[in-house]
Amino acid sequence: MKINTKILKILSVVMAVAYLAGCGPARETRIKMFPKMYSESPQSILILPPINTSTAANAKEYYSTTIQEPLAYKGYYVYPYEVTSEILKQEGIYDAELLTNVPLKKFNEYFGADAVLFTKITKWDLKYIVIGGNLTIQIEAKLKSTKTDQEIWKYTGTVVVDLSGGNSGGGIGGLIAKAIVTAVNAAIVDYVPHARRANYYALSSMPVGKYHKKYRKDQNDQIIIQKVAK
Amino acid sequence: MKKIIVVFFALLIMSTYGCGPKRLYHYGSYSNTLYDYRKDSNHENLMKHIKEMESIVVESNEQGMRIPPGLYGEMGYMYLKAKNTGKALEYFNRERNLYPESIILMDRMIKSTKEDS
Repeated sequence: MKINTKILKILSVVMAVAYLAGCGPARETRIKMFPKMYSESPQSILILPPINTSTAANAKEYYSTTIQEPLAYKGYYVYPYEVTSEILKQEGIYDAELLTNVPLKKFNEYFGADAVLFTKITKWDLKYIVIGGNLTIQIEAKLKSTKTDQEIWKYTGTVVVDLSGGNSGGGIGGLIAKAIVTAVNAAIVDYVPHARRANYYALSSMPVGKYHKKYRKDQNDQIIIQKVAK
Repeated sequence: MKKIIVVFFALLIMSTYGCGPKRLYHYGSYSNTLYDYRKDSNHENLMKHIKEMESIVVESNEQGMRIPPGLYGEMGYMYLKAKNTGKALEYFNRERNLYPESIILMDRMIKSTKEDS
């Protein structure tokens, strides 16, 4: 009986520690998470055609028509995707998979880009329920330097966009899940705004660039290290 | 009466501009018209997308906002698709002048547009 209480005590301590460690999102500063974004300070980003391994055939189009805007809001010069993807297509590059071993210096010579954004869409699921729905997007995004070929920022995670009414204007405000589920929104058919919202979320940990007013002032911002967010 | 008028205009201005910090750019319905054009690249959708970008330029200027990066460059490219070489060159140059990061790409576009015309 004595041993049992001891075990129970130990177990409770272990559980308490596990609970405390697991409670609340882990936080870190931007500069600690992505130091190379500050030391290299890229100004211009070239978006590569995404790799789509999800089951949704349209995912690539939804993603690529909605990624420029949030990236520009981050304060970077973003090359016009329509132009650059067409040039790459003429060179036989339809998606970034074909570029795994190409030295990225080429993108600096050809376009002038300081960094290149690689994206892999692994899941793009639209689920309808009676009073709304969810769009679940799983992506792996990486920003690589064209000077060093090194990864300078990344996001791997799942973004769940609540489709039950509410803000369609995008932006960080739109990400806050609504507590009250309203009737099915007409916008459910058009999920361009939702794709854009997902992209805003995925880019939120990225330090800002030179056109942003917080440029070189966001090093110590606390960012949440979190993989699943609603 | 005067007070009511003042309050009315104050509210009108607030409702037009919204509250909170001013946004960096104005994008209108850019991603929607672009998506429609990608799904069906016909002339009508091309012209709709160009028209949307034209109004983004007008509205950004009215609000004293910078034109979003790449927008002029894309307009040049879309005008090229619409076989309007003059406008294409004009917009490639605008992108080049507004964003020095675009010089290498825009010079390339300007050169190939001139060669093809």
